[in-house]
Amino acid sequence: MTSLEQLQQDFVNMLNHGSMDFENHIAAQEGALAPTQRAEIYQNAYRIRLTKVLEQDHEMLGLYLGDELFDEMVKGYLARFPSSAPSLREFGDRLPQFLSEHQPFSEHGILKEIALFERLLLKAFDAGDSKTLQFAQLQSIEQANWPNIQFQLHESVYLLTCQFSAVESWQALKSDQSPPSPDIQSPHHWIIAREPDKRTGFYALSTCHYHCLTSMQNGLPFGFVCEAAAQYAESEEQGTMQVMELLQKGIELGWFKSDIRVQQA
Amino acid sequence: MSNTSHPFVGFGLGLRTCYFEEILATQPKVDWFEIISENYFVDGGKPWHYLAQIKEQYPIVMHGVSMSIGSTSEINFSYLDSLKKTINRVDPLWISDHLCFSSLGDFNSHDLLPMPYTEEALSHLTERLNIVQDYLQRPLILENVSSYLTYQASQMSEWEFLSELHNRTQCQFLLDINNIYVSARNHDFAPETFLNAIPEKAIAQIHLAGHSDFGSHIIDTHDQPICDHVWQLFKDFAKKRGPINTMIERDDNFPPFKELMAELDHARSLVPKSWSIHDFT
Ligand SMILES: [Fe+2]
Repeated sequence: MTSLEQLQQDFVNMLNHGSMDFENHIAAQEGALAPTQRAEIYQNAYRIRLTKVLEQDHEMLGLYLGDELFDEMVKGYLARFPSSAPSLREFGDRLPQFLSEHQPFSEHGILKEIALFERLLLKAFDAGDSKTLQFAQLQSIEQANWPNIQFQLHESVYLLTCQFSAVESWQALKSDQSPPSPDIQSPHHWIIAREPDKRTGFYALSTCHYHCLTSMQNGLPFGFVCEAAAQYAESEEQGTMQVMELLQKGIELGWFKSDIRVQQA
Repeated sequence: MSNTSHPFVGFGLGLRTCYFEEILATQPKVDWFEIISENYFVDGGKPWHYLAQIKEQYPIVMHGVSMSIGSTSEINFSYLDSLKKTINRVDPLWISDHLCFSSLGDFNSHDLLPMPYTEEALSHLTERLNIVQDYLQRPLILENVSSYLTYQASQMSEWEFLSELHNRTQCQFLLDINNIYVSARNHDFAPETFLNAIPEKAIAQIHLAGHSDFGSHIIDTHDQPICDHVWQLFKDFAKKRGPINTMIERDDNFPPFKELMAELDHARSLVPKSWSIHDFT
């Protein structure tokens, strides 16, 4: 190892593991600061900077946990998943995983879900900008082609299923209210997407609409999407109506790409 | 790659998300904006939506924070690839990053860690700069970082190091006068010594920013107004140097936009009238 490599390795070990071998590289200088204090300036800056990123990205999770637990989480996360990407926006990507794998957080499934919801809001924010589907495009589809049409979800669309009241709790905290009980009767489905004005929005989805959207995400054509919907509706006709209702809402809110394909039989 | 001097385009501001709408609504008298390159390594959404409109009205300069050019790890070509794509989309007047290392292997500190001022670091940077500039097919301007420590290993001063890097590569620098001031206070040297030592043709841009003073040391927080001493250093430097692209850099604790404009106007007021490229009066 060259001396430059050694110096950088020691610097990084100091930031990442608190190893103080690095102090040997620091010259004693006149003035108020000893080498240890000079090293600590970098250590503190590192910890503060990354803590701030998680605080900004996960504001409601922070409120849900309270300061003490949030600090414990940050400490544990930094030790387990130090940042590796050049961009800070990716730093928290493994926070949901961390929360589901580490005590005491893993005992509360809602924490992972709140973190995941907040990550998806961030992802939707600066996802790609492809053009969105317009009503006029539907009119130009030939009747016979409808069953083979593949609708594609816009890049900013993320689907989320929660086993706990994660999104409701997020909403309550956002409006300064106490969160509801974490337990819910059955899973809640959500769609997160950027709206035409570039703000990020989210909506509750019925089980039927959720399955329609996942089948579109899996590349199934309209005919199959209607079949999927029928399983969650009273009749086949009702299923198709549900899909049409979903298309209408999704077009208004920019959930689909303008690029629609006809699957060749 | 030989570096050509950039023409004087005036006084710029750091473009930050919280000012997007106000800039579009009020069309402030700013000559150019500097973006943080990595904030645009995303596919779309608000950042690009606003930048596309702002860049129709103002020239843009790109300033990176994560290249880690001084790192002894392998060059991160996927980073350079994202940078190149962003350059192609933005079409900036010039690009810059910092003379430091930030990452090593899989670890990213997201900080601007100082290099030792050694012969070894000089040849390392010379080699890396050539590779990066070849890949990007354009010069990379390097900014001096604030530092809080001096390495045992250093064989020369920071200004000697920069000057020697310029001699070897013809690279140009973005001198952050606040960073010089911060390092000068932390290491007890005269900031004028640094400023006067850098060859004139090696300076492409100036940053002016604020810091936090902790008595025993000061930290380059970029979240405060510019202090009087930094203004004075800029004024003296400007008088001696002549027209140089100058920018106010604020990265946190964002004030109302008009306060940044007041700082920009103050910078303009400190330089000879002959510098003016736009008549904003
Ligand atoms: Fe700077």
